[in-house]
Amino acid sequence: MAFGAFLQAPAPGVAAAADPAPRRRSKVALLLLLPGVLYLAVFFLAPLVSLVMTSFQEPVEFGDIGQYQTAFRWENYLAVVETYAPHIFRSFSYAALATALALVFSYPLAYFIGVKLRQAPFLQSLALVLVVAPFFISFLLRTLAWKQMFADEGWLVGALQTVQLLPDGAHLTGTPFSVVFGLTYNFIPFMTLPIYASLERLDLRYLEAADDLYAKRSTAFWRITIPLSLPGIVSGTLLTFIPAAGDYINASRDFLGSTETAMVGNVIEANFLVLQNYPAAASLSILLMAAILVLVSAYVVRSGTKDLL
Amino acid sequence: MTRDLPADPLIRQLVLQARRSALSRRQMLQGAGIGAAALALAACAPQGSSKPTPAEDNSDEDKTLNWANWPAYLDEDEEGNHPTLDRFMAETGIEVNYLVDVDDNNSYYGKVKDQLALGQDIGADTVCLTEWMVARLIRLGYVQELDEANIPNKANLTPSLADPDFDPGRAMSLPWQGGFAGICWNKERLPNGLRTVEDLWGSDLKGRVGVLSEMRDTIGLIMLEQGADITDFGESEFTAALDVFREQVESGQIRNVKGNSYLEDLANEDTLAAICWSGDITVLNAESGDKWEFIIPEAGGTFWNDTFVVPIGSSRKTNAEKLMNYYYDPAVAAEVAAWVNYVTPVEGAYEAALEIDPELAENQLIFPNEETLSTVHVFRTLTSQEEQTFGAEFQSVLLGV
Amino acid sequence: MARSTFAESGADLRLDGITKRFPGFTAIEGLDLSIAAGSFFALLGPSGCGKTTTLRLIAGLEEPTAGRILLGGKDVTSTKPYQRPVNTVFQSYALFPHMSVLENVAFGLKRRGFKDATAKAHEALRLVELDHVAQRRPAQLSGGQQQRVALARAVVNRPALLLLDEPLGALDLKLRRQMQLELKTIQGEVGLTFLHVTHDQEEAMTMADTVAVMNKGRIEQLGAPEELYELPRTAFVANFLGNSNLFTGEVVSADGDTIVVDVGGRRLAVPRVRAQRHAGEVTIGVRPEKLVLLPDEPTPQTGRNVLGPGRVIDASFSGVSTQYQVAVPGIGIVAVFAQNLGFGPVMQEGAEVWLTWSVDHGFGLSDSPEPPATSAGDDVDTSALALQRRERLQAELEEA
Repeated sequence: MAFGAFLQAPAPGVAAAADPAPRRRSKVALLLLLPGVLYLAVFFLAPLVSLVMTSFQEPVEFGDIGQYQTAFRWENYLAVVETYAPHIFRSFSYAALATALALVFSYPLAYFIGVKLRQAPFLQSLALVLVVAPFFISFLLRTLAWKQMFADEGWLVGALQTVQLLPDGAHLTGTPFSVVFGLTYNFIPFMTLPIYASLERLDLRYLEAADDLYAKRSTAFWRITIPLSLPGIVSGTLLTFIPAAGDYINASRDFLGSTETAMVGNVIEANFLVLQNYPAAASLSILLMAAILVLVSAYVVRSGTKDLL
Repeated sequence: MTRDLPADPLIRQLVLQARRSALSRRQMLQGAGIGAAALALAACAPQGSSKPTPAEDNSDEDKTLNWANWPAYLDEDEEGNHPTLDRFMAETGIEVNYLVDVDDNNSYYGKVKDQLALGQDIGADTVCLTEWMVARLIRLGYVQELDEANIPNKANLTPSLADPDFDPGRAMSLPWQGGFAGICWNKERLPNGLRTVEDLWGSDLKGRVGVLSEMRDTIGLIMLEQGADITDFGESEFTAALDVFREQVESGQIRNVKGNSYLEDLANEDTLAAICWSGDITVLNAESGDKWEFIIPEAGGTFWNDTFVVPIGSSRKTNAEKLMNYYYDPAVAAEVAAWVNYVTPVEGAYEAALEIDPELAENQLIFPNEETLSTVHVFRTLTSQEEQTFGAEFQSVLLGV
Repeated sequence: MARSTFAESGADLRLDGITKRFPGFTAIEGLDLSIAAGSFFALLGPSGCGKTTTLRLIAGLEEPTAGRILLGGKDVTSTKPYQRPVNTVFQSYALFPHMSVLENVAFGLKRRGFKDATAKAHEALRLVELDHVAQRRPAQLSGGQQQRVALARAVVNRPALLLLDEPLGALDLKLRRQMQLELKTIQGEVGLTFLHVTHDQEEAMTMADTVAVMNKGRIEQLGAPEELYELPRTAFVANFLGNSNLFTGEVVSADGDTIVVDVGGRRLAVPRVRAQRHAGEVTIGVRPEKLVLLPDEPTPQTGRNVLGPGRVIDASFSGVSTQYQVAVPGIGIVAVFAQNLGFGPVMQEGAEVWLTWSVDHGFGLSDSPEPPATSAGDDVDTSALALQRRERLQAELEEA
C-alpha cells in the first residue's frame, strides 16, 4: 500500500498542482475515494500479501514440480540473493545507465519541442506526435527491428567495423550494449514527455531576468532552466528507471540479450514459468520492489523536488 | 516446438514473432512483480498432491469442442479455413473451435495449471503439448483417460510410439505430430557442412552457433554425441553433457540459446549453424532461399512428439476422442502432414501421401523410414525430482549464473 | 564590462535615432532620447506605445533595427544583456521561484564574481526592509514584498542604469503610493539613473524628474511633470496627462500677446506664447479645474474667456471636488472641476450656468484631437505589438 501511495506521489511532477492547504474532508469526498481504495486493496494489496506469502513457501516433501506449502522459509531470500546477486546488480546498472542516456537524449529533444517550438503550435503538436509515434507500433516489434539492425551481417556492424569502432568478429546483438540501447530507446518517450511538460510551462521571463543579471546562456541554463524543469526530470527518470530495472524483454535472449545479460526480470521469468519455483520468483520480486522503493525514495528526497511540486 | 508461418516478408515474420512473445510477455508481467496477480493465484491454488477428478462427460448434449494447438500446425487454405477440420465438422456435426493458444509448453502450463489443479475447465477440451509436458500432466493427474472404443483408428498408431514410459499403452495421450532435433548450417557460408555436434564447437564457428532453449533437445544431442543413451541415462551422463554446454556458452562459442526465434538468427546470419528442429528448415528454405541444410547428427538426433490430451476439467471428452479418431485416418493424416511438414504418427499415411505427392512421401523428415527412425531417440521421461534439478541446472546456464 | 566593480554612479543614456521594426509593423521610429546621469526619468504612454520596447532595447533584450544606444558615452548597441551595466525590475518581477529571496538578490553579484555577494545581498534586503524574509521563497511573500525583492535584486548590482518596467502595476493603490515614495527615496540614496516605464500618469508625475510621453513609437513631449501638465503641446498629451477641454476653431486675430479663435461663434483667447500655432484652424484647451462656474452671465473682462449659457447635465461629488459636465450649445460638453469650498455641490443638475477662465490658463496645441473611432485601431496595434514582441523574444532566445 505504501508503495502504491508512493508511486503516485511523483505524478504531480508532471502536472504540478500545488495545493498546500489541506481541504476540509466531507463524506462525499470519502465516498469518492472508496472505489479507488477498494481497487487498490483488491488489485494491489491482496496480490502483494499473497506474493509475500509465496516468497516464504517451502517445497512439499516428495512433491511434484511447482508444489509448495505455506511456511516461513526466510532462507528463500538468502538463496536468491546468493545466486542472483549479479543479476540484481546488473539490472540496476543497466537501468541507471539507460536512464542517464535517455535523459541525455530526451532533454534537448524536450527543450526543443517545449521551448523553441512554442511559437509554432502546429510543429509542436507534430513533434509530440512523433515522440509518441513509436507507441503505435508494438514494443516487441520495435525491439525485434533493432535486433535485425544490430545483426552481424547488417549494415551497422559492417559500418562500425569499417571505421574500426568495432573489432572484427565482435557482435552487437546479445551484448550489454544492445540491451542498454534497447532499454534507452524504448523508454525515451517516458523520459521526454514529463520533461516536455515542465519545459513547456517554463516562463521565459526568468531567462531574461537571468540574462539581465549577468548570467551567460550556459549559466542561465544550469541555474534556471534545469532547476525549473527538475520536476519533469525526476518524473521522467522514475518513469524510466523503475520499469527498466524490472524489464525482461530487452535483456531476454529472444530479443537483444544473451546468457550474459540476464536481468532480474529474466530470472523471475525463468523461475516462475520454466522452473515453477514460485518462492524464488516471489522473493526476487519482493526484493526488486524493495530495492526500487529504497533507491527511488533516496532519489526523490535527494533531488528535493518537493519544493517545486 | 513449433515452426514459423510460411511468410516471405521479414515484417510478417516479425509480427508473428511478436504475437508469440506477446503471450509470454503477459505472463511475464505477472512474474516480474508488476502485476503479482499470477503469483497470487499460485499462492491460492491448492497445494499438496491430491489429484482432481475428471469432469462428467456431456458430449451427447453438447456438440462442441475447443481444441488448443500450436501456430501453423493444421492444414490451412488461402481463406484461412482448415479443410480437414471443416470436413470433420460436416461429418460429425461437432462444432470445433480451433484455438492457436500454445506458443510454449511452459507458458501454456503456467496459464492453466491452477484450473487443472482444481479440476476446472481450462477453455480447451483437447490440447496438443509436447510429450515431456504431457508426462508431467499425467503424473499430476491433470488429464482424462481416453476411451479406446471411441478411437478405433488408434490401431493406426506407429508401433514405436504406442507404449511410452510415461503413458503405457497410450491410455491418456495420443501423438499429433512429431519432429526431430538435429543440426543445420548455412550452406553458402559453410560449404563443407557439418556431420556431428562436435563440429559446432569448431573455432571457425566461434560466436556463430545457436542452440535451442528446449533442454531435452540441446542436452539430448550433446549426450548422444558423448555416446550416452538418452532413452536410459543417469545423472552423471546429464551432468557431463551440461558441462560441455556450459563451457561452450561461457566461452562464447554458442552465440545464443533461444526458443522459436533461433530461426531469425539463422536468417540474418548472426548464427551460421545451430541445433534446430527438422520442419523449420524446410520452411526457412522455402522462405529465404535454399540456403540451409538439416541433418540428424551421426551420433543420433532426438525425436519428440506433440500429443493430444484431454484436460481433466473437460466435459466433452467423447467429442475430443472423435476428433482424434478422425485425424488417425491415414488419408486425413497424410493431408495434414503434407501441409505442416512434420512427422505424422499415423501408419498408412505414407501410402496415402504417395498418392497425393510421391516426392513429399519420400521426404525423410516427414515420412521417415525405419532407417531414419533408427537414428533418432526419444529423451526419456524425467522424474519430478530430475525435472526440477536438471531444469534448474540448465536454466542456470541460460541465466549466466 | 568591468567585473567585480560597482558603477561609481549612474551613467547618462543616449538613444540616437533608434528604430525598431517587427515583421509587419514599426514599434519605434527614429527615437532620440537623452537621460541625464542620476536622474529619475519616466517614460509614460498607453500600452502599445513602444515604451516597453524602448526599455527592452536599452536592456539588450531586443536589438534595434537602426540607431545607437550609448551608456555613459559608450556604445552598447551590440552587447549582450549580461554584458551591460543595466538591470531591470520586471513587471512580473521574474523572481526565480526555486531560489530563496537571498539567493535571488545575490544572483547577479555571484555571476559577476563578488566574494561578498551574500553580505551585499543582505545589505540590499535591509535597504528594502526585507532582510527578515531572506530565507523564504518568493511565492511565500506578498505582492509588495516581491516587488521590493525585485528592486533589491536589481539595485544590489549598482547598475549604471536601472530600468523599471511598470514595477508597481500589480500592486493595489495604497501599496502603490507607498512604493512610489520608497522608490523615490531609494533612488535618492543610491544615486543611480532610473528609467521608469509606466502607463500611470500620476505615478510618472509623482516620481520622475523628467517625463517623456510616448505615443505610437514617438516621444510626443518631454519635460518636467508640471510643464507637461500645464502646457501640453499635443492633443494626446493634453488628454493622456490629466483631462482637458479642447476647442477647435479658426484663428480670427493674432495681434499682440494673444491669439483669438472662433469656436462655434464664440471668441476664445490664448496667450501667443502658449500656443503652438498662430494661424488657420487650431485647437486650444484649458484644464477643467481652471474653469469657474457662474450662475449669471458675467460682465466681459479682458484676460478672461467666457462661455455660456450652458446647462449642467451631470454633477458628481467626489469629496474634495465636484465634477460637472456642462452642455454648451454650439460647443459641446465641457468638464469643470470645482473645489468644494462650501458644503456639497454649488450647482444642481439642470441649472443654467456660464463658464469663465483666465486667458493665461489656456494653451494652443500643434494638432487636433483625433476622432474617438481610432481607439479601436489602437487596441489592435497593441495586441499585435504584444504578439510581435513575444515572437521576437522567442526568436532571440533561439539564437542562444
